Amino acid sequence: MSPSQVPVDAVQGALAAEHAAIWVYGVVEAFAPGALNGQLEEAATAHQARRDATERVLTDAGVPPVPPEPGYLTPEPVTDAASALRLAITAESDAAAAWRSVIERSPAHLGLRAAALDALTVAALWATRWRARAGTSPVTVPFPGAPA
Amino acid sequence: MLIPRQTPILARWPTVSEAGPTRRRVLAAAATLSVAGPAALTGCTLPVRIPEVPDPLESPARRAEADATQASTVAQLAAGADPALAAAARALATDRRTHAATLRAELRRVRPRPAPHSASPPAAPQPATPELTSARGVLAQAVRAAHDEAAGLVMTLPGYRAALLASVAACCATHAALLS
Repeated sequence: MSPSQVPVDAVQGALAAEHAAIWVYGVVEAFAPGALNGQLEEAATAHQARRDATERVLTDAGVPPVPPEPGYLTPEPVTDAASALRLAITAESDAAAAWRSVIERSPAHLGLRAAALDALTVAALWATRWRARAGTSPVTVPFPGAPA
Repeated sequence: MLIPRQTPILARWPTVSEAGPTRRRVLAAAATLSVAGPAALTGCTLPVRIPEVPDPLESPARRAEADATQASTVAQLAAGADPALAAAARALATDRRTHAATLRAELRRVRPRPAPHSASPPAAPQPATPELTSARGVLAQAVRAAHDEAAGLVMTLPGYRAALLASVAACCATHAALLS
């Protein structure tokens, strides 16, 4: 894709959300029940792959990718499985919002839109899974990634 | 553009004596107009019909309405027999109804009133009431089709609408996962 068409700010926002999600899954794994380890690992691996791909998009556009933050403030202290799952839901919701923003700012027919739609959809699927696991109702939202 | 000062502008204009409108030329021009004029005017005033292209959000809006109706029916049918399916169908109906309302609002924003020459859009087909045994599969198939349509539109629509359809597609994907 033409580097000049890449909405750099939005893509940097998506990369920052991926960095945050990777950090979050490290925290969640420490508190969630062992039965979830496989799924947590799968989610974390997906975010790492997305982070790498997003860094390549920025590098190809001649822009230095934003680095991860040394740490992140969580909306609430993570002390148990329930609060850990809520944090995972927050991370996926943030990723969904960041990728939706990439879609909104990308020109039509740009390959980046397809990649962003995939990222938004995967984030929505994980958020739904964690809501179901946490016993939250409803487990779906009508517009994943939409500003509240 | 600046005109060089050394060239007197008026000097380049033809003088009346060599090219000015003579009485004969004016009459000749008038005669030509009287023949060509009415035909040309008729050509210009023919009613111009701009084909009424349906808004690309019309189809996903109608699909969302049909899906919501179908899911509500399934939720009622399954209420006693299959509570898990009933819950999934209720959640689907709620989200699809929200999609329909938001898509309709966007359609109204762009075209506050239907264009006078446009045919009224055909009514949404009433989805068949599925048998309870196949209801889960029917709903899953419908929501997958909704996902595919919305995802396709994401690639072509302008920013705001692409983002809206992206959220619809993602939501449909979550329901498809819950129903399969």
